[in-house]
Amino acid sequence: MFRSLFIFLILGAGLMACSSVSKISIKGESLKVDEQYKTSSRVDSMIQPYRIELQKEMDVKIAFATGDFLVERPCGSLNNWVADALMYYLTKNNQQEAPTFCLFNTGGIRSTINQGDVTVGDIFKVMPFDNLLAWVKMPISSIPLIESHLKATGGEPISGAYLDHGKLIIKGLNSQSTYFWIITSDYLMNGGDKMSFFEQKISSKMTDFLMRDALLSVAKEQSVLVMDTNNRITF
Amino acid sequence: MERRIFLKNTALVSGGIIVSTSLIAQPLSIRKPKKVTILHTNDTHSNIDPFPANHAKYPNRGGVARRFELIQKIRAEEENVVLLDAGDIFQGTPYFNKYGGVLEMKLMTELGYDAATMGNHDFDGGLNGFVAAQKFANFPFLCANYDFKNTEVDGQTQASTILNRGGIKIGIFGVGIELEGLVPDSKFGETRYIDPIDIANQQAINLKEKGCDLIICLSHLGYEYPTAKLSDRVLAKKTKNIHLIIGGHTHTFLDKPTEERNSEGKIVLINQVGFAGLNLGRIDFEIETKAFSKQEVITIL
Repeated sequence: MFRSLFIFLILGAGLMACSSVSKISIKGESLKVDEQYKTSSRVDSMIQPYRIELQKEMDVKIAFATGDFLVERPCGSLNNWVADALMYYLTKNNQQEAPTFCLFNTGGIRSTINQGDVTVGDIFKVMPFDNLLAWVKMPISSIPLIESHLKATGGEPISGAYLDHGKLIIKGLNSQSTYFWIITSDYLMNGGDKMSFFEQKISSKMTDFLMRDALLSVAKEQSVLVMDTNNRITF
Repeated sequence: MERRIFLKNTALVSGGIIVSTSLIAQPLSIRKPKKVTILHTNDTHSNIDPFPANHAKYPNRGGVARRFELIQKIRAEEENVVLLDAGDIFQGTPYFNKYGGVLEMKLMTELGYDAATMGNHDFDGGLNGFVAAQKFANFPFLCANYDFKNTEVDGQTQASTILNRGGIKIGIFGVGIELEGLVPDSKFGETRYIDPIDIANQQAINLKEKGCDLIICLSHLGYEYPTAKLSDRVLAKKTKNIHLIIGGHTHTFLDKPTEERNSEGKIVLINQVGFAGLNLGRIDFEIETKAFSKQEVITIL
């Protein structure tokens, strides 16, 4: 008796649960969120305290630029500053046993730094992306691929190495070296911006450091941004 | 052009009995067409304020306070509204860097989101960071294919939820993308990614058995890839019992939902609305329940 009642209950639950849908008509669209909708004052008042506080932080002066720092090809003062800053930030407490250089992409530097005060917001403009710094262990055999990439793009930010008439000179590299390290972003390491030579990597190590945080930290430490206009890329 | 696709009802075996039960139990009016309006966003990426007026591609677009007005307008016109997000709520403006996603959660709660799934960037504050921000959300995060056992997130998400809107049962579950190689290991810790296809099939059948009239998958797998990589289009083809996949990750702008055929040849819709809250997706379902129905007809208008 108990057993049959139990089965009935389960069945009953199943029956009650089933859908009796016979027809579904569907219409879909994508609605633009723009000026035609007013700004809800209720929602905006929730945002406002955060916005004000954030603005204050973005406006904080962290350094001074004695001149304009420019993004240029084959090489510009901001290309050099960014590459040097990233290189310095990662290697100051963590030297690798093998030669190391930093390679970034010109397209990843999104703004110039103008002469005068440098604010937190200025660094956010230079580096709006939340890319993380990474170490990539590369074989010697990848050097020609890097050289041809630099030639094809017309130059990328580089530190700890330079391109001398199309030849990549990595500081500290000698005839016994079989590999070297590149400091770059997670985005580029994964083949972003056509840096397919990273497919040759032996291994890689991600860090928790946002590139932007590295730039903020180095700018604060320098106080007056170090300007280097030397051309590090010749073909 | 209107197309009608006749589909075999999978619950055919006991169909007659079910419907007669519902006829007795429910007033006749329940059988009039019911409308459910699904609103959705994806990859809002901490874009709280509108894009600046000098933005190269999308000047003056987006903004949470405007999205709220648009949603309120639709809520005033429609009885049964569901509001969903397909992940990557975090990361993209200093609001996230500074406040760790707390403001995003507060605002989504204010806008009345019913559920969201986790995107890869929702791990960017680490698992602790997610939990800390999520405390400000009063809607569930649906993650059916992440196993958070032994992590701080364990018990903070759920696989699925069922919403009831004017007599229509809407079952929703969430699936997320492989984290390895996409998110630094330290951010996702011991989170285990499980292949979404089996999970999606299990979730869908489970929701169907619970009597859901509409089954929605919130996905952060990405719309499609040139490779064989798992995407919403692949998921749609390899699963069944799902009516709609609301996607994200690839920032794909679709003007209207894409139709795909599932493993039984039935229609599945996939939609995605770009990123940054520039657009709001809207999908209206008109559902007829009929006595002794042996077929489920899906019409795309």
